Amino acid sequence: MPELNFDKVLASLKLRLDEVVDESEFDEILKEYAGKDSLLSVERKNLSNLSNEDKKVYGETLNNVNKSIVTNIKKAKEKFINNKYASLEDEENDDITIDWITNTGTHRHILSQVMDEVVNIFASIGYKVAYGPEVETSWHNFDALNTPDWHPARYESDTLYTDNDLETLLRTQTSTVQIRHMEENDPPVYIVAPGRVFRSDQLDATHSPVFHQLEGLAVDKNLKFTDLKGTLEYFVKQFFGEDIETKFIPHFFPFTEPSAEVLVKWKNGEWLEILGCGMVDPNVLNHVGYSDEYQGFAWGVGIERLAMLKYQVDHIKNFYDNDLRFLEQF
Amino acid sequence: MKILKSWLNDWIDLEAISTDDISEALESLGFEIESRTDKTPNYKNITVGKVLEIYEHPNADKVRVTKVDVGSKTYEIVCGAWNFDVGAVVPVALPKSEIKDGFKIDKRDIRGVESNGMICSASELDLWDDHAGILKLSDETKLGSDFAKIYNSTDTLWEIGVTPNRGDCMSHLGIARELSNYFNLTLKENSQSLKSNIESVIKVNSGKIKACNSYQSIEIENFTLSDSNLNIRYRLSSIGVRVINNVVDYTNYVLHDIGQPLHAFDRDKLFGTISVRFAKDKENLKTLDEQERKLTSEDLIITDNNKPIALAGVMGGYDTEVTDTTTNLLIESAYFDKVSIMKTSRRLNLISDASIRFERGIDFNLQKQGLQRFVNLFENDQEINYSSIIDSSKNGISYDSISFDKNEIEQILGVKLDDNFIRNTLIKLQIESEVSDKKIKFESPSWRYDLERPIDLIEELAKHYGFNNFESTLPIGNNLNSTGDYWDKRIYLSEKLSSTNFYEIQTLSFTDSLSNELFTPEKISVSVINPIDQTQENLRTNLLTSLINTYKFNIESNGKSHRYYEINNVYDDSKHKKFKIIPNQEYSLGLLIPENETVEDRKGITKTNNINTLANAIKNLFPSSELEHLTRPGFHKNYSYLIKLDNKILGFMGKLSYKIQSKLELDDSLYISQINTENFNFDQLKAFTYKPLSAYPFIKFDLSFSVPNDFQASDLINCIESILSKNENNISIFDNFTNEKTRNLGIRIVTRSYEKTYTETESTEILEMIVKEAESKFKIKLNTKDENAT
Repeated sequence: MPELNFDKVLASLKLRLDEVVDESEFDEILKEYAGKDSLLSVERKNLSNLSNEDKKVYGETLNNVNKSIVTNIKKAKEKFINNKYASLEDEENDDITIDWITNTGTHRHILSQVMDEVVNIFASIGYKVAYGPEVETSWHNFDALNTPDWHPARYESDTLYTDNDLETLLRTQTSTVQIRHMEENDPPVYIVAPGRVFRSDQLDATHSPVFHQLEGLAVDKNLKFTDLKGTLEYFVKQFFGEDIETKFIPHFFPFTEPSAEVLVKWKNGEWLEILGCGMVDPNVLNHVGYSDEYQGFAWGVGIERLAMLKYQVDHIKNFYDNDLRFLEQF
Repeated sequence: MKILKSWLNDWIDLEAISTDDISEALESLGFEIESRTDKTPNYKNITVGKVLEIYEHPNADKVRVTKVDVGSKTYEIVCGAWNFDVGAVVPVALPKSEIKDGFKIDKRDIRGVESNGMICSASELDLWDDHAGILKLSDETKLGSDFAKIYNSTDTLWEIGVTPNRGDCMSHLGIARELSNYFNLTLKENSQSLKSNIESVIKVNSGKIKACNSYQSIEIENFTLSDSNLNIRYRLSSIGVRVINNVVDYTNYVLHDIGQPLHAFDRDKLFGTISVRFAKDKENLKTLDEQERKLTSEDLIITDNNKPIALAGVMGGYDTEVTDTTTNLLIESAYFDKVSIMKTSRRLNLISDASIRFERGIDFNLQKQGLQRFVNLFENDQEINYSSIIDSSKNGISYDSISFDKNEIEQILGVKLDDNFIRNTLIKLQIESEVSDKKIKFESPSWRYDLERPIDLIEELAKHYGFNNFESTLPIGNNLNSTGDYWDKRIYLSEKLSSTNFYEIQTLSFTDSLSNELFTPEKISVSVINPIDQTQENLRTNLLTSLINTYKFNIESNGKSHRYYEINNVYDDSKHKKFKIIPNQEYSLGLLIPENETVEDRKGITKTNNINTLANAIKNLFPSSELEHLTRPGFHKNYSYLIKLDNKILGFMGKLSYKIQSKLELDDSLYISQINTENFNFDQLKAFTYKPLSAYPFIKFDLSFSVPNDFQASDLINCIESILSKNENNISIFDNFTNEKTRNLGIRIVTRSYEKTYTETESTEILEMIVKEAESKFKIKLNTKDENAT
């Protein structure tokens, strides 16, 4: 029985594997140790010369040696590949913070984003967007909204007019859309009307001649003050978060009764007004010819006000300067 | 409006109620709290003393030496004020006391005389501004009393908002009446009846005029013009009313106490009969502020012998005012119509505490009480002679009783209110009512002109029930998750534009006339007749100027060149298509792309844009739109197009003319566009079908053709599209090179069959077919050396 020193063979294989510099060498090594001309193959050929007993024993030894060679090479190759990619990745270690501070925002104006957000909240409870003209008749802006001739809101100092008879003006409130919409549509009505309104104020930190409101109107059979409360509480929670506290305090608007203001409790404990609302005054519904089986509620919210609160913007002028430093933040 | 807790306490007993609870009550009753100040004395250890002696200072002639009795002891105090004599009762700051702002008082040597403290003025005690000198107190004040205890030095001041429908709440009585229901307290009675002791001299006849429902007067003789008492001055100055003299202070006090404006005339300057009428045009009146006022027939005036002596309810006349030499008074207490007071007050821009109250409507039964309160206050300070009240009232105002179905309350509020609650509330508010099983009948009191309809009473009940005590229910509307065409379009445009590097902007709607002329000279501007300033006298007829201004602003102040868009109205003076009376308004989209666009990377590369960048942006928004060349003002001669969609004009686009570019001092060219969003609908944009994806590999050809200068690439693309119409294609122009002689157009064709993988032979056949067809159809030539098929 031949006595080949397989330990020596395996030791030399290990040394050889340690010297590998290129992945292709593994195939050559396999050939060299287990291929056609390898020592192992020679020994295999010699098996036929042995007795059946020895053939069995020595054959098994050869098989084990072969297995061990193949396994060693496979493991070494795997390790080689792992090391290769690991060192490749080791070399790449760029500063991740380089672009971390760059912010170009969503490219949408924050007032539009806030309007969208508010619209979406109301769309989710069945309101559709309505709109109306910005240059309006005095009748739609005042008379139809139960604001008679002698009301302070009609004084020229607040309102911008576009004709000398004071019959047309730049609407001072989106409530005009209530009237426009009801004139053309039968109840039930569930609408919100976001849009621009105008006042005679120079643009500065706290005033703007142009600003945005969102008007809401619901008219149906059986809408009650409790529904008004639930609807606006839903809105406030959706917009400011579930934990926000709200309260309703009585107020006066010519076109709603009862009228209320909604206040939210801010982080510093201060109560801040965020919207005005009320049950639609029966006179308004009469003006548009709705039958008295219908009643409803309306509200108005300032978009700049919401944006200023939510993002702590302290200058209303920022919204209209369109400075990229401002635009890119949102 | 400002209110004091101690003053409210005159009307209802608030001693046991905390200030926080009162604040909460005020707010829940609809009085918005603008501020609250808890007042405490800004001084320490001030006592009350009486001046016993006054003598000259041995070494100084600007000060005097006094001996002051503070009850237990007498002190020598040097004093620089001269407005008091022996016998005056005054606040004294003895050693170890403090006056305003923590200033410590001690013994001090003043030119060789030891002064044991000081005698104080109102300003030194931080009470009110008074430059007359020492604060003189009532002779009856007990010597040695703690000064802080002789009036309500610890108090609370609220500044509250009163809504315009609640004129009746513009006084301490009015607020107290509201609180009396909230806290279930009884309103006190404060007026004492009068015992006249002289005959009146002046006749009063308020005439037939409706705008003056009631005119009452009282005459006062032999009074001394002096200071009103400490309490009145403290209260008035606390609520921001300047203290002047007793007559003026009492009128102001009555106004803030019960809400009745009064006016004091110098009786000896009045002649004949006092009457009320509207002025005649060209009549004049010199008012208290020494201004000569031109009156109109809308101004309600008070006259004597038919000559104007006061603007009713707004301001008194100069010639009849009370002065230092006045010895006899006539006090007016009247009810004037709110509309006429408002007109005069606004026209002359004269807004006073009185006019504000008349405008909102005062109690039409309050006039007599006003005069009573005035005389009560006067009598409390000094002995006076007065006449009985002359009453020239018409009693032309009354409120009908109103009856309504009790169910209406629940129908509006959603909550059933208990009969006892309704009854008690109405009693406390002094609203006469009958509450039966089915009906409520009520009659508004004389101060509540806001209760005209059932809904007014329902609101009143809801308010006193407490808005926050109602439950909340959430009704769902009939338009679930459909925002409508108007909004859908806005969102569609914004999303597409913002995702392709356009920044959305919001600019003001105003402009000057030049900016409108620049791009839209065919439109007549809508002008504001009372503009904020000259640069904002017109409404914009286009969005282009604001876009250019924003672009320019950010180049100059931030060094950044970007694309912008705005979606807002433009306006012009033609008639609105739907609502004829108002001017035309088009909800429009404006776009701007600069020639060189800042790209956000560290290499500082700018992206170069041209007219095709804008054309592509338009096509991306409106895939089936068409461009049609049309020269228009403000635009480049060639690069100016109409945008059409289904043969309807959507808007226009092009390159800013070089002339305007240079006029606006812009280095780079700008590509601009305006689109009327009302000329398409959202469904139109979504009216396309999906192109299926082939499962087979693509073949790709890059071809370069030699083409004439006026050749349109889209013709070639359409031609190839039609050849390959059964395939899934992606055809694009990758090169467009022009020099003086030639133009080369590089076209990339990527195509896949829906049925098979093309063999090399098939691929070559397709290529040859395309080249042959293109060359023969357009008389163009393939540049063979650039040919490259893969």
